[in-house]
Amino acid sequence: MARTVAIVEDDAAIRANYADILKKHGYQVSAYGDRKSATAGFRTRLPDLALLDIGLGDEPDGGFTLCRELRAMSAALPIIFLTARDSDFDLVSGLRMGADDYLTKDAGMPQLLARISALFRRADLLREPPAAEEVLERGPLRLDMKRFHASWRDAPVDLTLTEFWLVHSLARYPGHVKDRESLMRDAHIVVDDSTITSHVKRIRRKFQAVDGAFNVIDSVYGLGYRWNG
Amino acid sequence: MRLTLRAQVVLVALVLTVIPLVGYVHVKQMERLLREGQEQALLATARAIATALHDRPQLLELRAGEPASGEMALILRSLARAESRIWIVDRDQRLLALVGDLKKRAGTEEPPDLLTRFVHPVAALVLERPTEDFDDSLPEAEIGGSVAASALQGVPARRWRQSPDSRAVILSASHPVWSGDDVVAAVVAEETTHATRSAYNRAMEQVIGLTLIAFVAGALALLLFASRISTRLVRLRDEAEAAIDLQGRVRKPLAGSAARDEIGDLSRSFSTVLARLGEYNRYLEAMAGRLSHELRTPIAVVRSSLENLRLQLLPAEAGVYLARANDGLKRLDTILTRMSEATRLESLVREHPRERFDARDVVRGAALAHPGKRFEIDVPEATVWLRGAPELYAQMLDKLVANAVDFATGDEPIRIRLEPRGADAALTVSNRGPRLPQSMAGKLFESMVSVRARESGAEPHLGLGLYIVRLIAEFHGGTAQALDREDGSGVVIKITTPLNSDPGS
Repeated sequence: MARTVAIVEDDAAIRANYADILKKHGYQVSAYGDRKSATAGFRTRLPDLALLDIGLGDEPDGGFTLCRELRAMSAALPIIFLTARDSDFDLVSGLRMGADDYLTKDAGMPQLLARISALFRRADLLREPPAAEEVLERGPLRLDMKRFHASWRDAPVDLTLTEFWLVHSLARYPGHVKDRESLMRDAHIVVDDSTITSHVKRIRRKFQAVDGAFNVIDSVYGLGYRWNG
Repeated sequence: MRLTLRAQVVLVALVLTVIPLVGYVHVKQMERLLREGQEQALLATARAIATALHDRPQLLELRAGEPASGEMALILRSLARAESRIWIVDRDQRLLALVGDLKKRAGTEEPPDLLTRFVHPVAALVLERPTEDFDDSLPEAEIGGSVAASALQGVPARRWRQSPDSRAVILSASHPVWSGDDVVAAVVAEETTHATRSAYNRAMEQVIGLTLIAFVAGALALLLFASRISTRLVRLRDEAEAAIDLQGRVRKPLAGSAARDEIGDLSRSFSTVLARLGEYNRYLEAMAGRLSHELRTPIAVVRSSLENLRLQLLPAEAGVYLARANDGLKRLDTILTRMSEATRLESLVREHPRERFDARDVVRGAALAHPGKRFEIDVPEATVWLRGAPELYAQMLDKLVANAVDFATGDEPIRIRLEPRGADAALTVSNRGPRLPQSMAGKLFESMVSVRARESGAEPHLGLGLYIVRLIAEFHGGTAQALDREDGSGVVIKITTPLNSDPGS
């Protein structure tokens, strides 16, 4: 059965375009233009994945509210914020609400599709009993490539999809400097340098929350980052 | 020449000098009247004596130096009391009698008042003080002189003359003494001008004193007033200058004075103007962020439409247009990315934590991102501790290098130099190339200011690179400056940030 992707987006043209593309990629799409109809729709039937805009009509934070409601209904439902805002504040707020990832609207369809399929893959695996694992281990770091699950010294590190891809990109070839371009490519994002900087900063903080002495990600000024493990 | 407000008011105060002038003219007038009065009085004295001596044959028996007798003695004694010298001469110009004294008797000087005493030393410089120490002899020539001679002709006369030693001025008046229809003798009364002179001097001293007081008080008042105005204006100027920094940004709003005069008005309108300027600057700086935000939605519409189109079965030539549309979209994306980079940085620097780092590590990596270019990197032996964020410092350096690479001409390497200068670390990035345009001096570090010539097809330049540099330099507590090289062969961008000497912080 085709998976259902819910789009909550107040701009009719974007909503229709995204719905069309997703349909062409084999997803079933339910599109909502405002928070009320979306909430009502979710009550009837929970989608398999939700794409949420933050500003919905006259509710500047309608997407956040919706995300909280969805999380309350299902802890496992993948949620992606898709928005025109790109401030760190919005990003952090969105992720705190329990979203799995965050994309700005200028990200192309390929980036979005990569995330959608990755999140679906993860959701599938979470439902199935653990089978053959695809794991990358670098010292204390353990990356479960199928479930997008990271752990450090056996403690889970709660990374978003983008962050997971960034860590993977760095840890795959320890000691090599990854420049921002290739990091972006590996993480399926198109952003500016300072966004990469704040992503890396957030990753470091998440690892440091688990292990205060974490200092494996080096900044190579002027070039990029390096995994020193 | 710069003429301060204070100096101008002092010049205006010179108008007050008219007061002493008026006083002087007035006193001169008074002196003239006094002298006339003295002449009349002396003439009257001479006439009175002459009248008293009319038809008195004993008169001619008198001889100067010999004691008179009878009625004549009585008359002469009474004459001697006057404050004047009186002599009588007969037709043969023999001196018949000489009584009285030109010199004043002591003790008649009235005590000077406070003002006079105060002004005395000043007045002494300009005023001629009458002295009692002069030669009061009666010269022989005077006895036969014009005054006596005129009276002997029957015509009263008066004359001013100097004392023989020129230390006093003597006024003499004469009157004929009649006997029947003949002139038998002439009475000459003499006085010094000391009395008038003293009155004149006293008046003059008072005028000098009063005008001096008026002048000083007036000038002081004016000066105080001017000082106050000038101080207020200077303060306003300093405030206005301090309110705007070199880049023309409003550093802090002007409080605006509460004074209810023109300077207060000026201060308040300055304050309003600055507030408006500040708003406008903020508007401009926020513009990039707002624009990028507003543009994202329509671009997403275009992009998703194109992506839908690509999934359709399209005629072959449609591919060309699709590619062009994608090209344009990519350019728009670059613009948006640049704009949002600046906006993100604005919010980032507001709360980014600061750490201590060695700027040399950052500077050494500067060239890595531009492998095709030649660099000359110069860092000191010793560590250069700064307080801030190394990633941001690196981002700033990256912008500086990108800027230098874009403007560099010729093969000369781009020079990156880090050196401690006193309490600061100076980072300079210098390239050979065109000079800075004069008109843009100081504006280069503002949001959306670019000095690049429009080049079609090239990467879009929004003038945000150096704005980002400024934001990061300010985050490190420093400043950014763009200068021409001293020999004019290129441009130097200089970032000055304070060194962090305390490892504990």
